[in-house]
Amino acid sequence: MADIVGQLEQARNLAFSNREMFPQVLRQVFPLAGNADLTIQRWCSQFFKDAFRASSDKLDPAAKIDLAIDAVDTLSLLMQVPDHEVVKNTIDASVVVFRLVYRYVADNDGSNGIWAKLQQLKAHIAGKYLTTWPLDAADTNEADMRRNIEINLELLKFVMLVIDYQSRSPTQPGFFSLSKVNPNHTLMKPQQLEAEAHKLLEKVLQVLEWDILVTPVVTATLTQLAFVAHRKPQFITRVFKTVENFDSASKYQSNYESVEEFKLSRKYTDRSIRIFLSHTLKYQLVPPNYQQVANKKVSQVVSRGDEVRRRDILAIEDPSITKRKFEGFENGTKRLQNLDYKSLYCLTDPNNELNSFDLTTLPPNILVSMTIAALNKASPERLAKGLDIVCSRYKSALQRATGSEVKKSESDDEDDNMENFSSDTVFTLPPPQALNFAEKKEHLSLIIQNFFSLADQKIPEVNDKQDTGAQLTQIAIKTWKKDSWYVLLTRLATRGMRAAPGEGIDVEKEQELADMVRQAIFDYFLANIHSRIDIVIEWLSEEWYAEKVFNEGKALQKMAQENNGVVTEEMRIEVDFLTTPTPIYEKWSSKVLDSMISFIEPGDRKIFIRLLSDLPYLTDEMVSRIKSLCYDPGRAKIGFLSLQFLVMYRPPVKSACLNVLKELAEGDQDDLKEEATKLLEKYS
Amino acid sequence: MAIDSLKICTVCASNNNRSMESHKQLKDAGYDVKSFGTGSAVRLPGPSIDRPNVYEFGTPYEDIYNDLMSQEAHKMYESNGLIHMLNRNRHVKRAPEKWHANAYAGKFDLVITCEERCFDSVIDDLMYRLVNKEDADTEVKQVVHVVNVDIKDDNENAFIGAKGIVKLVTMIHEFKERAKEKRKNGSFEDESELLLEDNMMRILTEWQREHTHLQTLYGVAYY
Repeated sequence: MADIVGQLEQARNLAFSNREMFPQVLRQVFPLAGNADLTIQRWCSQFFKDAFRASSDKLDPAAKIDLAIDAVDTLSLLMQVPDHEVVKNTIDASVVVFRLVYRYVADNDGSNGIWAKLQQLKAHIAGKYLTTWPLDAADTNEADMRRNIEINLELLKFVMLVIDYQSRSPTQPGFFSLSKVNPNHTLMKPQQLEAEAHKLLEKVLQVLEWDILVTPVVTATLTQLAFVAHRKPQFITRVFKTVENFDSASKYQSNYESVEEFKLSRKYTDRSIRIFLSHTLKYQLVPPNYQQVANKKVSQVVSRGDEVRRRDILAIEDPSITKRKFEGFENGTKRLQNLDYKSLYCLTDPNNELNSFDLTTLPPNILVSMTIAALNKASPERLAKGLDIVCSRYKSALQRATGSEVKKSESDDEDDNMENFSSDTVFTLPPPQALNFAEKKEHLSLIIQNFFSLADQKIPEVNDKQDTGAQLTQIAIKTWKKDSWYVLLTRLATRGMRAAPGEGIDVEKEQELADMVRQAIFDYFLANIHSRIDIVIEWLSEEWYAEKVFNEGKALQKMAQENNGVVTEEMRIEVDFLTTPTPIYEKWSSKVLDSMISFIEPGDRKIFIRLLSDLPYLTDEMVSRIKSLCYDPGRAKIGFLSLQFLVMYRPPVKSACLNVLKELAEGDQDDLKEEATKLLEKYS
Repeated sequence: MAIDSLKICTVCASNNNRSMESHKQLKDAGYDVKSFGTGSAVRLPGPSIDRPNVYEFGTPYEDIYNDLMSQEAHKMYESNGLIHMLNRNRHVKRAPEKWHANAYAGKFDLVITCEERCFDSVIDDLMYRLVNKEDADTEVKQVVHVVNVDIKDDNENAFIGAKGIVKLVTMIHEFKERAKEKRKNGSFEDESELLLEDNMMRILTEWQREHTHLQTLYGVAYY
């Protein structure tokens, strides 16, 4: 691994010392971000951040725009890596990329694909604001408000950028904003974008309206609101309404802070309010109907500040301080303290003497009644959170169990008191709650891990002599074979988790879940390209087939709707001749190609041609990727051989190959020109 | 100091007394530090209360020193510590620097002001920079912690305040060091406990408890 990073550092040094080479190096690095190794992902994210912040003497501005467009997918991918370092770097890189690509789309109406990708990147980043991601959620909302502040402070920068670019700035026409976009732009609808900006602003103002104080985020928000006050008069009333209602004296002390910390928080946030209001008054940004309110507010916080100035604020007794109602568990730790059942299940104060009471002295019917009463009293949410804590402790214990044996319980004797059991009450479990999105992801991650563990197990095969008669219309698996695990996994992603809009399903989120499976297969392939080419070909073939069938079905359904729900044979024939779009397949097969092209060595010729041969469908864009192979002297032979192979054996992409050869023939490298010209003459 | 040491700057009104004493002590402790003033000019005591000595920011301490020594009141300047202060300053850096014009100095992770009005001035200026500076496309704002440690503007209190500031900076660095160690060992309950931003209020509270004579203000801004 150190060797790869060493090579990457050399590439980086080359890029920053050679302006002409920079774009090429950056393009080579894009596919590496898909590598599952965290060290490489960290390196890549840092490189992207530095590259996009590089000044124009190091990286040509026009090239940077092109690179920004190509970077959007990669940044979306990195934004899903649960690591603070990667996330922070990716946010910073995305701030620059968002600006460049957004303005490119504004100036180039019709860039539908680019716009869709940018929207996705925006959703990946802005959607995480005021969440605990990449941290796990704690057991109370209150705890989560005060966690992950580091990432939320970074995310706030991006959120403010989106608000800026998606809303008008009538008071500052010199800066880019929605005001500069053509009102008839087919992709950037002013009303829609401004409404979304307003919604984001509501989210930003939320932290001032919480009933506790999270000082770093509150003060940072007030700093950013100055930006809104200067540039966005259409939002100013909303901002001042929130600032007017902000009163640190009416906030509760959080259960997760000391009273001293809370006293300081009130002082600090009052000062920030004062600075914000003084700033807006100085620059005459306060709307007329809020002038009086602003001045009054300043006087209030000034006098409050004077009361505590130069006194020891921590020593001042304040009877008005009230603690927020506690929603969590006294003992919410997710790590098992001791390897025993008491520690596993105990959610109350461990020092509470009630925990030492021996429940086995009670008859079973009383125990059952007590349990039923307790379950009836607890809300489903609270019960679920409690179980989640127990589950986390159990997992952490399992991880430690590999190194130590679990002490066996000393009281294994079971009293047989069945005659005391009363069946008067019949208890029924409450219906299970639907998993939220984060829980789905976590559960799916476990499923994926389990499937990959099957790959390492040696399960005996059952040979069925009648297998030779299997047909396409029959089920995929009759008996278990050593490779059956990935058949199931690919079907899970391609068929089991495909969703269409209008089914009450968030398509984008379902897509994100399915992509977790795809990413896992992709990473598995990257770990050993040579021996796993079969798996990836089978996966991508299934990907293409499932997507094509699905989209053809949609097209047919749409035609039927226009014909009173009747499907005719003519419709079926017409659908057969359509070029059915398969964007998911194209996305992932392009990734596979990119990663192979980046790592391929002269000895890998057969594998690469095997991939090109067996992929069910190739786009012109995929073919053009081979060009980069031809530019590399050590691998040009593979590049030209691949193009030759495709021309001979895959007629549908012949013209795309000839286009690549033509480009090379017209290029400025003599050796490439000669070889390309020769092939052109042979196959044109 | 460690490679990932925070970039720090200290700020007072004239960049002569409180911020420079802090600058010196932080520098001697091995931290990466600069210092600035928020005033419109450098104001130092003069022969009488209504006739201060005024210099532009950027005037070398050496020149200020020579000017004061050439004045009739130089004995008074020596007795009230002014000469000693300038002697100290010229060995720390060349000249007082103005906060509002400090773009050349890069960005800071931690800004420590020594007076409430300076704290207000710094935050206000950072707000202004968010809006009115033509950001290059390449510019990305960085999170900055701004802490005010209120220090009376005389020699003795500047020294005491500087010691408190060194203590605060040390506590922050020790937190980061401990967090890095815990992450390596995997010996943490919740990853939130490893993040400086999630724990800054706790650190400030702990420090304030031990330094009740130095009242604080704190806010997060973007640089």
